[in-house]
Amino acid sequence: MSHFKDLKRYVSVREWFEKFGVLCLRFFKNAGGISILFCDTCFLLWIKGFRWNTTLDQMNKIGVMSLPLVFLTSLFTGMVLALQGAYQLRLFAAQQFTADLVALSTVRELGPVLTAMVVAGRVGASIAAELGTMKVTEQIDALKALAANPVQYLVIPRFVAGFTMLFVLTVYADWIGMFGGYLISVFKLGMSSSQYIKRSFHAMLVKDVITGLIKAFFFGGIISVVGCYFGFQARGGAEGVGRATTLAVVVSLIMVIAFDALFTAIFYFV
Amino acid sequence: MIQIQGVHKWFGTNHVLRGVDLTIKDGETLVIIGRSGCGKSVLLKHIMAILEPDEGDIKIDGHSMFSMLPTEQDQFRLQLGMLFQGAALFDSLTVCENVGFSLFEHTNLSEDIIVQKVREKLSLVGLQGIEEHKPASLSGGMKKRVGLARAICNEPKIILYDEPTTGLDPINADVINDLILRMQAQLQVTSIVVTHDMISAYKVADRIAMLYEGRIIGVGTSDEIKNSEDPIIQQFITGSAKGPITDRHQETEPL
Repeated sequence: MSHFKDLKRYVSVREWFEKFGVLCLRFFKNAGGISILFCDTCFLLWIKGFRWNTTLDQMNKIGVMSLPLVFLTSLFTGMVLALQGAYQLRLFAAQQFTADLVALSTVRELGPVLTAMVVAGRVGASIAAELGTMKVTEQIDALKALAANPVQYLVIPRFVAGFTMLFVLTVYADWIGMFGGYLISVFKLGMSSSQYIKRSFHAMLVKDVITGLIKAFFFGGIISVVGCYFGFQARGGAEGVGRATTLAVVVSLIMVIAFDALFTAIFYFV
Repeated sequence: MIQIQGVHKWFGTNHVLRGVDLTIKDGETLVIIGRSGCGKSVLLKHIMAILEPDEGDIKIDGHSMFSMLPTEQDQFRLQLGMLFQGAALFDSLTVCENVGFSLFEHTNLSEDIIVQKVREKLSLVGLQGIEEHKPASLSGGMKKRVGLARAICNEPKIILYDEPTTGLDPINADVINDLILRMQAQLQVTSIVVTHDMISAYKVADRIAMLYEGRIIGVGTSDEIKNSEDPIIQQFITGSAKGPITDRHQETEPL
């Protein structure tokens, strides 16, 4: 009987539509919630500013403590990019363009996106878990009971630290990525050090650097607001915190990639 | 005076509060009793304006917090203090920063004066020398007392206690009961205590109200509640496994 019920559920068009409807509603609820939290954060930041001490603390957690991870990711990505680029460029006897390829791809695309992904995984999860635990242990309610606005007290320091530190980390990742390419090009491909440096800077335009850094600003804001939103939505103890953390990371990553595509398209035409 | 007028609250399809009407007089200690999950804490969060009712209103001294602007609401909220069920101390702050939170946030007092006030409130709840400790290093009973010190630090007119003795051993529970009575005697505050611990309820209450299925089904002094002829109240206060509450619950549970 239960097998029949299961089968009926799978072939029921109505149930498929219901599931689709639920997914759509959940999507719009979360999209709306994230947008409202973003607007509230910007409004309160504009009206009341931010607290230096808590923001510096968050900058340390988000920025300084992410340095080793960003270093390793960028270094290896730069090295792989140089090896893969040289492998293809060799077919056209154009190995000297490896430096151009590494510099442009790192500064325009891989620097901001990979840094955002690393930070989304490390920091987005940590923000959602911290705020989620505060939510399920009634600490957020306690903040309200003590007449403190949770957005002002918890979200704004993370938001300011998020967008400033992602900017700084992206600059750092750009340099380290190019250094990774340098190591491969000079010590493996036999390119001269000065040639590599000259070609790298020759290939880049100011616009390339700026577009990458604008992306980084937005990605930092997205990761912190999404992390805070899902932390505030946590319910039902440890399981709820775990669910909020997973959702924060997944949604941050999807939003980073979606906004990367949007910005790339905008900058292509501008 | 706190007037709770026809408060309804839904969480999705779950109709938790179904028209709660209750009046709490100035300076009295009212204990709200009821089964776990019947909406006692939800009602307390409505009084604090942490949750907003779907219908009805709550007035404190004639003012409804739900019709105020957020800044006015925050100012008004400073007249209330709340002890949360798990104390809800901020993990990242020290005991001193927790207790003095509202003073650090909402006053221009110097740090020395705030620390002095924090020490006074901590000694009022029988704690000394733990100002620099983090909440994680405190026992359950100490956390509740620090939570109470935080609730009274701003010298509120109304204190709300959410299950103050839950999870404590009988001795620590009685310490908390004594603290509630002492707060009442020393600070002359209006207190609302939510609990299902009848020993605590009889000890601290001026009046007891029972919340059942989202409504207040009986209000009276401890003696009136003890002698109530309502079988639901009788089953609850005697803690009997058999009676109308469990019969009804079994009827509504799916097979």
